[in-house]
Amino acid sequence: MKKFLLILFVFMCVAQWLVPAKMIYDNEVVVTEGLLYKFRTQPVDPSDPFRGKYVTLSFDANAIVLPDSGDWVAGEEAFVSFGEDSLGFATPASISREEPDAPAFLKTTVNYVENYSDSPYIINFTLPFDRFYLEESKASQAEQAYWQAQRDSAQVAYGVVRIGKGQAVLTDVMINDKSIVELVKELNTTPE
Amino acid sequence: MSKNILNDLPELLRANVIDEETAKRITAYYDAKPNASSNRLFVVFGILGALLISMGLVLIVAHNWDDLPKAAKLFIGLLPMLIGQGVCGYLVVKDIPSRAWREGCGAYLCFTIALSIAVVGQVYNLEGNFPRFLMVWMLLTLPAVYVLRSSMAAMLYVCGVTWYACELGYFHYPSMPPWKYWPMLALVLPFCYTEFIMKGFKNNFYYFISWLVVLSVTFCIGAFENHHEDLVIGMYMSLFSVFVLLSELKAFETHRVLTNPLLLVGSLGIMCLLLLLSFDWYWDELDRFTEQDNLASMEFYFTAILSALAVILMVFVFRAKSIASINLKGFAFLIFIALYIMGINAPGSAQLLVNLVILIFAVYTIRSGAKQNHLGILNYGLLIITALILCRFFDTDFSFILRGLLFIAVGIGFFAANYYMIKKRKQNA
Repeated sequence: MKKFLLILFVFMCVAQWLVPAKMIYDNEVVVTEGLLYKFRTQPVDPSDPFRGKYVTLSFDANAIVLPDSGDWVAGEEAFVSFGEDSLGFATPASISREEPDAPAFLKTTVNYVENYSDSPYIINFTLPFDRFYLEESKASQAEQAYWQAQRDSAQVAYGVVRIGKGQAVLTDVMINDKSIVELVKELNTTPE
Repeated sequence: MSKNILNDLPELLRANVIDEETAKRITAYYDAKPNASSNRLFVVFGILGALLISMGLVLIVAHNWDDLPKAAKLFIGLLPMLIGQGVCGYLVVKDIPSRAWREGCGAYLCFTIALSIAVVGQVYNLEGNFPRFLMVWMLLTLPAVYVLRSSMAAMLYVCGVTWYACELGYFHYPSMPPWKYWPMLALVLPFCYTEFIMKGFKNNFYYFISWLVVLSVTFCIGAFENHHEDLVIGMYMSLFSVFVLLSELKAFETHRVLTNPLLLVGSLGIMCLLLLLSFDWYWDELDRFTEQDNLASMEFYFTAILSALAVILMVFVFRAKSIASINLKGFAFLIFIALYIMGINAPGSAQLLVNLVILIFAVYTIRSGAKQNHLGILNYGLLIITALILCRFFDTDFSFILRGLLFIAVGIGFFAANYYMIKKRKQNA
């Protein structure tokens, strides 16, 4: 019995380390080897009971326009690859059911399909990097900084995302080319 | 108890009930016996301490220290799990039987596993797929239940899988049936069987776990509902019948009603459903319900599987007990099936019969309470009748006088039954 418990104990420890280790490895591969994209965004500030305060990001590039439905249905798995618009922000370039032969693509799910009469089909999909975690005292300040920037139409907020083969990692959120973390630090050090 | 006996020893000696030698032997016996209540306290405080420490660690890491580099954040987040594994390994290798250590370590390890996954998600800003997080967390917690033989870890596991099923089935958009809930719940049942039922040892942990499992199944089965409201009632009726029949088996018997969630939830559930069915809305809309493709619905499959399970359990119960001694509410699923078929063509008659069934169950419960000399069961039967009258208060054309007389009659019934029972007890005392 003790031998069995020892084997089970070893198995338990291996499994408990394997999951975070695999998560770290997969994300490090994307961070070091993935291609860099900038996603236009709008942040808000909720909190997670386990991971703390974060800024939720709502991206513009979460839908692709197709001339026909392609039989896409909600909940379906999809592979999306991205290009860049004239300002250098990411835009979805293609969507497929098979892994594309491209250096960077995202594995995601279709949320819903929009279609109005005499208009093309709009396939909405999930962008699985909608959270940017911040120190709890800074999350709401970060949101305020964003909304201040929004008043000035010349300023723009975007998420810096590394995309590999299927996975993506959000590495920073920028407001007018400045990291939101740095921006909050500056706000804290600037006298009222 | 032991303290009371020791305090009474001089009096018993003076009254020559026991001699000097017996008094010494009793004192020696209780001196040598480990103090159960202090052990119990040690277990409770061990668990509480471990829970508070681990939850505190979760909150500290959730602060998300921006100034720390990525590697330091990961190290700090993963270190508590390493410590938990170290303590767990020590307990296993040294074969330490201390319940307080095993339970405390189980609770601590459970939360530090969550911490280890959360910290990686936090560092890499991973998306918030909460049901998946809960599933991975619980599956990594499960081995700790068996390695430490920790009831506390088992309880947290049952809570976790319930949370997972509710997130996916109720709170997630788009909601989807949490199919993995069933195998995940089943994975903890061998622990409950080997730890309590096989040994015939039912302590507080057993009562807590059985309450959690019964409530978990009751809540989570609703997450499989898919717009066939008529069959949802059938699904729940079969489930509650299964609970009542399980409570009839020797393996699940307990000395007190409150410690038997199978009986309590099953019986109360059946009575609530029957009271719901005693209104006309269900029977009036049965036509519309049956126009849907019921036979291909998930609710139908669940009703069929649970009814089949109830029939199998019935065979087992019949072998062990006589029909007269079986709880009548165990047959509720068969009654519902008969009423449902009848209700398709004659909804009025079916509704009337539901009232009759409730009345029979109420009388049966009162009789059972009187037989067992149990005031709680007796009053439960009277409460069923009161609830039935209250329901009819709202939707029938009975005159005010008749309804008033019915209430007075039940009130007198309450008084008379309790008076009779207490008098009988005094005579027997």
